[in-house]
Amino acid sequence: MDGEPFIQLHGITKRFPGVTANDHVDLTVRVGEIHAIVGENGAGKSTLMRVLYGLYQPDTGSISVRGRTVVIDGPRAALELGIGMVHQHFMLIPVFTVAENVILGSEPVAGLGRLKLREARARVAKLCAQYGFALDPAAKVGALSVGEQQRVEIIKVLFRGAELLILDEPTAVLVPQEVEELFSNLRRLREQGKTIIFISHKLDEVLDISDRITVLRRGRVVGTVDAAATTKPQLAEMMVGRPVLLELEHPEVTPGAVRLEARALTVGAGGGGRRQAVRHVHLAVRSGEIYGIAGVEGNGQTELVEALVGLRPIVMGQLLVEGQDVTQQSARAIRLMGVAHIPEDRHRRGLALPMTVWENMILGHHYRDDFVNGPLVDRPAVDRFVAEHVREYDIRVADTDAPALALSGGNQQKVIVAREFSFAPRVLVAAQPTRGLDIGATEFVQRQLLAARSNGMAVLLVSAWLEEVLSLADRIGVMYGGELVGEFRRGEVTAAELGLYMTGTKRRDVIPVVPV
Amino acid sequence: MKGRLLILQIAAPVLAIAFGMLISSIIILAIGRNPLEVFGIMVRFSLGRTDSLFSILFKSTPLIFAGLAVAMSFRVNLFNIGVEGQYYIGAFCAAFVGFSLRGLPPIVHLPLALLAAMAGGMLWALLPIALKIRRGAHEVITTIMMNYIASALILYLIADVFRDPAQAGTPRVRTPDVALAARVPSLGPFFGNFGFAGSDVQKLNALLLLGLTLCIILAYALARTRFGYEVRAVAANPTAAEAAGIANRRVEFGMFMLSAAIAGLIGLNDILGFFGYLDIDFPKGLGFLGISVALLAKNNPLGVILAALLFGFLDRGAQGVQFFARVPKETIVIMQAIIILAIVVAYELLTSYIRIQRKREAEGTPAMPAAAAEAAP
Amino acid sequence: METLTSLLSIALIASAIRVTMPILLTALGAVYSERSGVVNIGLEGIMIMGTFFGAVGDYVFAERFPGIVAAFPDAAPLAGVLAAVLGGVAFGLIHALVTVTFRVNQIISGVALNLLAAGLARFLNILLFTQATQSPGVHGFTPIDIPVLKDVAVLGPLVRGISPMIILGVLLVIASQWILLRTRFGLRLRAVGEYPLAADTLGVSVTRMRYAGVLLSGALAGMAGSYLAIEQAHLYFEGMTQGRGFIALAAMIFGNWWPVGALGASALFGYFDALSLRVVKLPVPYQFISVLPHIVTILVLAGFVRRAQMPAADGLPYTKEEE
Repeated sequence: MDGEPFIQLHGITKRFPGVTANDHVDLTVRVGEIHAIVGENGAGKSTLMRVLYGLYQPDTGSISVRGRTVVIDGPRAALELGIGMVHQHFMLIPVFTVAENVILGSEPVAGLGRLKLREARARVAKLCAQYGFALDPAAKVGALSVGEQQRVEIIKVLFRGAELLILDEPTAVLVPQEVEELFSNLRRLREQGKTIIFISHKLDEVLDISDRITVLRRGRVVGTVDAAATTKPQLAEMMVGRPVLLELEHPEVTPGAVRLEARALTVGAGGGGRRQAVRHVHLAVRSGEIYGIAGVEGNGQTELVEALVGLRPIVMGQLLVEGQDVTQQSARAIRLMGVAHIPEDRHRRGLALPMTVWENMILGHHYRDDFVNGPLVDRPAVDRFVAEHVREYDIRVADTDAPALALSGGNQQKVIVAREFSFAPRVLVAAQPTRGLDIGATEFVQRQLLAARSNGMAVLLVSAWLEEVLSLADRIGVMYGGELVGEFRRGEVTAAELGLYMTGTKRRDVIPVVPV
Repeated sequence: MKGRLLILQIAAPVLAIAFGMLISSIIILAIGRNPLEVFGIMVRFSLGRTDSLFSILFKSTPLIFAGLAVAMSFRVNLFNIGVEGQYYIGAFCAAFVGFSLRGLPPIVHLPLALLAAMAGGMLWALLPIALKIRRGAHEVITTIMMNYIASALILYLIADVFRDPAQAGTPRVRTPDVALAARVPSLGPFFGNFGFAGSDVQKLNALLLLGLTLCIILAYALARTRFGYEVRAVAANPTAAEAAGIANRRVEFGMFMLSAAIAGLIGLNDILGFFGYLDIDFPKGLGFLGISVALLAKNNPLGVILAALLFGFLDRGAQGVQFFARVPKETIVIMQAIIILAIVVAYELLTSYIRIQRKREAEGTPAMPAAAAEAAP
Repeated sequence: METLTSLLSIALIASAIRVTMPILLTALGAVYSERSGVVNIGLEGIMIMGTFFGAVGDYVFAERFPGIVAAFPDAAPLAGVLAAVLGGVAFGLIHALVTVTFRVNQIISGVALNLLAAGLARFLNILLFTQATQSPGVHGFTPIDIPVLKDVAVLGPLVRGISPMIILGVLLVIASQWILLRTRFGLRLRAVGEYPLAADTLGVSVTRMRYAGVLLSGALAGMAGSYLAIEQAHLYFEGMTQGRGFIALAAMIFGNWWPVGALGASALFGYFDALSLRVVKLPVPYQFISVLPHIVTILVLAGFVRRAQMPAADGLPYTKEEE
């Protein structure tokens, strides 16, 4: 493993208004290794990679590639040096074919700028064969699975002759089986002499795939270690700067009555078509219970959640809250019955970012009698409520008149959690509640969910993060293709087993729970 | 920070107006005139004479309604470009109620005419907003098409259906006279008490007061009421508003209808306040000016008053430069358009500057709670 | 029965083709602009500029260079078309600057552009012709016959004595379809309209492609305006575009953001436009016949928008993430 250095960073510093994202970072990546970079959200991983890929210019420091000092002033320059980036959020155009996506920006052309599409397809096919990727160059990208789209991203980079591949959180969107396939692809790339930088915060995966690991914390390098010579707790401590508890306590709670129930729920996919996004789903969530829903994103979870909180019309079936039929009720009516909702996309559904913090904190409660005085908003009452909750949930905000977009992601999520937990909800529907949060904020949210469960709330937790579902839920349902393809009790099932259900390889009938 | 923001917020429109003047100066130079002299004439003519001051107020009155109408739709991110057509229809409805009913007392007849105008405006907005909400048809194109149709319809109604029989044999194409009971009272007698007189004083009517009142009421309602809160939420993020149980379609519909109702009143300054009938040469284009007024005012009802006054001033000034400086009044029209382009750019730059400042401030305060707390024992 | 045959007569179709052209050319421009992700509602204003500069270019060239015009009569209208295209590009540049560089809301910029065009055309007309609303008359292109087809008797007015700009228009549709589907430029243009960030990370300049799209739309809308003034009315007069720029946007939407689709949709509008010019004996007031194309526009938008596949990033300003 003592290859010559491919790339060396010396004292890279990158500052943004009010924050130093990278602080004198030194890093050496050797030819032919898989080098992981780990750190919490906000540790500076993404910034560092953007510097490396030419999207940002460092304020100080230098970069050398194969021993030569270089200036990387854009993605093009990076590619010319053999550096390619596989982005976390796929940079793919759904209406284009695989080949069109791959060639964009470096198209083979004849006279008049005519695309040589046949040649492009042939070259893509050849690359796929070389690295063992199963892909059809003529397929539309929008029709591919997440794993396949990721392969297109990798092929895109290889097509441009990259020798060093940067993969930014590549496993975040994959199911266990797809992760395995990605890892075998990466190992094959390494065999053929490619160098890989693997960015992640999932320590098990990092230990599995990488040769060496560099840990970042708050913009600084904490250290670089050999994967073979370290352990998960050690890495976690390096990342967070203190020993961390990797397991949450999950106290025994006796579930009570069914609070939220779906009977043969069928929901349309929207867009005016007849396609159904959710088909015939039965589920029941009881007081004092967390019901987890696992599944690859895009298998109907979003639509299921929206239907449960009244944001999407129910085509067939019934929805009951505490035994009352609310199938035809509006979102407001369902809310007023005590159903709280932490939306999966806090920027789209959760917050009105340009509005002030105080306005966001009463969003969805603003029509309660507590906050209105005739037709007017009762500011004194609102201010009291906001001040109390800012204190209780430790929301770091200088001025509640500032727009919500000025808050950090963790604080934004706290605003939502504080809001949704107020007025004693009976049911909580939480979708991806910890997405994009750092370890501290994640722990906070997860503890809140468990506390709610202890207090007798009925919690429906939808998460694409399998470990979260496994560690928090009392029961787990798996969604695939819009259907509930399996339901398990806590401890009854492993992650690998769930993966089989999540990909549609296995299924078993879900027996509707008889309401107590 | 707050003080600096306020200065910037005032500076943005001032700079945009200065930029508009700069471009106009270049145009005036290009036609061989001295811009300073032209602007001097404009200011002296518009502000140096009492008749001009009253004329500016008269010209600003419909612009207040027009700007307010457009602003109300912009507030929920809908582009009601159909204000133009809506006020044609509103003007006709008011005139119709005015000339077809007789013998009603003013306390009944005038409000009836105003309501008819608002109903006419709303009627003309119903199809575009319904198509927008139900079918996703872009309201900009549909409302513009409705403008053309309104124009044709009004022409037909005035020329072929309700043409004043008393005008038969003359080239005048107009409706019969509106009953006196439906006319808007002039403010002339009031100002007469202070020694002001003349036709420009007589033209000024109570609709100015109605417009100002409407602006103040709506400013208060949007800032302080629950409905105003919901409007802000829908504008800021309709999907989040929906998740919060706000019927955003209903809010959008309501604001669009409010916009159209106000639009219906635009033409009345001339129809019920001055002429007393509707003819085919009634003032047109006020709806489009309303877009400019709303943009300049940043959709703030109180800002609408100032922006309308500015445009009234420019309009009066244009008459002055045309008459006294022999510079085409279109120069001022171009200046208005340039001001609008400059103002939207200035506001955009200001918004992104504020966003960056806010981020800087927020991140300057101790963020990353857990880690920061651990690091500082 | 008589009405029915007259609704499909060759003369009517020939007239429909003529009035289709300005809508088609503008719709084609809109396709380029919106494929790159910029909504250009200012096309109406650009068309107005096209009508004005078209007439002025034609008129001024004929005045200044009578010798050239005597030898090549088509030189003057050609100068008019070029002036209109340049005027359109200049206006497109304003829209691009405001929306792409300064990222202002595209609808607002377009509306402002329309206001500017109306004022500017009046102003310039006063400067040149001492009155606000009308230019002197101008000459059009020499009509041409389509080789081979011209001898087919049935086609008559469809292939004989037609404007060369009609042929140009049809060729532009075919070329545009090919450009968008089969060339590097087309691929990149569509890419920035679908997912600008993706294109940006691959080294495709979003700004440059969007400027290209908007400028092309300006050029084509300018050309459309010049057709109206030079080939159809033989002069410029105020308000002659009659909202065709907006109708063209509807045609582009109805044509699903593709040139060939825009051709079909424009032909539909052109047909009703031609009808509104011809049918005078119907028991409907003429004022309503004249707004037939506008009514059809609303119906089309009401009926077909949902099925359309618009570019995913259409109308959205592009900002690089600043985190």
